[in-house]
Amino acid sequence: MLSRTVKNTLFASALRIALFISLAILIFLIGAILLEGFKALSPSFIVSEARDFGAAGGIRYQLLGSLILIIVAAVLVVPFALGTALYRSEYVTSEKLGRCIDLTIFSLNGIPSITYGLFGLIVFVNILGMGVSWLIGSILLAIMILPTVTVSTHQAMRAIPNIYRESALALGLTRAEMVRKVILPQSLHGLVTGLLIGLARAIGETAPIMFVATAFSGVTWPQSIYEPVSTLPTHILALAQQATNPDALRNAWGASLSLIIIVMILSGLAFIARRKLEPQRSM
Amino acid sequence: MNQISLNPRLRTDITFPKWNGLKSYAVGSALFSSTIIMLILGTLLIQSHPALFANDLNLLSEVWDPAGGQYGIIPMIFGTLIIMSIAMIIALPLGVLSAIYIAETRSDRLKHILKSSLEVLAGIPSIVYGLIGVAYLSIWVAEGFELQTGRVILTAGLLLALMILPTIMTLSEDAISSVPRAYRENAASLGLYHYEIIKDIVLPAAKADIAGAALLALGRALGETMAVMLVIGSLDRLPSPLFNVLASSQTITSKLGREIAESAFGSTHFSVLVLMSLILVAFTLILTIAAQKLFTKDPHNA
Repeated sequence: MLSRTVKNTLFASALRIALFISLAILIFLIGAILLEGFKALSPSFIVSEARDFGAAGGIRYQLLGSLILIIVAAVLVVPFALGTALYRSEYVTSEKLGRCIDLTIFSLNGIPSITYGLFGLIVFVNILGMGVSWLIGSILLAIMILPTVTVSTHQAMRAIPNIYRESALALGLTRAEMVRKVILPQSLHGLVTGLLIGLARAIGETAPIMFVATAFSGVTWPQSIYEPVSTLPTHILALAQQATNPDALRNAWGASLSLIIIVMILSGLAFIARRKLEPQRSM
Repeated sequence: MNQISLNPRLRTDITFPKWNGLKSYAVGSALFSSTIIMLILGTLLIQSHPALFANDLNLLSEVWDPAGGQYGIIPMIFGTLIIMSIAMIIALPLGVLSAIYIAETRSDRLKHILKSSLEVLAGIPSIVYGLIGVAYLSIWVAEGFELQTGRVILTAGLLLALMILPTIMTLSEDAISSVPRAYRENAASLGLYHYEIIKDIVLPAAKADIAGAALLALGRALGETMAVMLVIGSLDRLPSPLFNVLASSQTITSKLGREIAESAFGSTHFSVLVLMSLILVAFTLILTIAAQKLFTKDPHNA
């Protein structure tokens, strides 16, 4: 048997070693991404087109494609998330039904992203015959972030004190007016924050869109909804698969850092939105 | 809430409209959002039907050979399990021990730096981890073990460990920090050593939340596609010997990522792939729901 003091010392060193390894991993990951990324990143890298299957040139259309996908996904997800949160917070009377809705929406969060791609391929590409189209990608990303946006909006609505609702009704507002004038403005921060967090996740996703919405080379600005786009994550995938070519690898790091910078901007905006838009209540 | 009969403008209305446009919109959205999951599961079930009810596919064999009519999914399931195990064996102790250090440290600056860099890491897309796997890990593994290719089970397991480490660290740290101070102070005043306070007081109190964190991380590891697909080597065979972690392999997700686009819609091949996806969804849903249950059981959140 080891004495208590020895055990205590051993444990303390185990903690230090674990922290040291974890720190080394954190530094390695962040360091590799920054160092490799900045070797490729430049203003001309961002605005010029990809050439030689991505080994030369930049990421102009990949960047645009990624932005189209998430902007349209945002437009698609907002009405459903808002309506669902509204129903959950203002109209559900039975707690059981409420929990049932929570479960069905929460389960969407547990579905692996590749399954969304498979689902999109079966339903939109094959059964509905849309072919490979960027719109399918937006639809799938919208479904993927629906739980995040809904939950965030619902939480903000739930945080509104009941006295606000009662006062509004007592002043003679109808339920609909109360929702429009009180609930929506008071929960806007939840919607915006949830949406930005969701989009930060959506823009980095590869698996849901790689079969249904994207093409690797020769894609520019889509002329209709039935055309594929090229995106940053699928571009990185294609470049990572030709990793023996140092030029392709360099551009893959450049595209990765650009993608991460967009993710950081979206997360940062979410942080700011929460702070600036949240109503100050003195309750 | 009661009926809104106080509105003066509606006082003349004999039948107060229960269903206005806004309510219909809210109900409609909720109905739609709740049905999506059924729609996804239903689609997968229908499409995997041919594979489930065909007799001669040998689904539970070890041979995957679509040209010869052999659709054994055991290698993929084995690959998934062994990679998850490697990732958990590395990331769980490392993550929990580091989390204890962070939670117990008195340096607010260290805490702040660590927590914000963990948040940054959590936002890194999985394809970027895949790139790190291709550019560094697989090369290190190949050189370290003198292999022809570094795209093997060990590399995929290590990469997954890197990916789930931030999740485990962040959530375990929250769990450990939320154990009331009084517990520690009482234990210390009884003369317990730091090690004993952690082992006998803090960890038992935070157990449910740490288990929840582990399950969530496991769920993420299970569904991870892009990073694994790039470093697994995509070989549809059981490694020989069975626990040779330096052999190439295949997981359910990497199989789906590689072959969905190649197999013809409606073919047996496609149907077997959908079936694999259904198995994957079943596992991840169970893990996610179990994790959720563990988190809500925690007395400190109630």
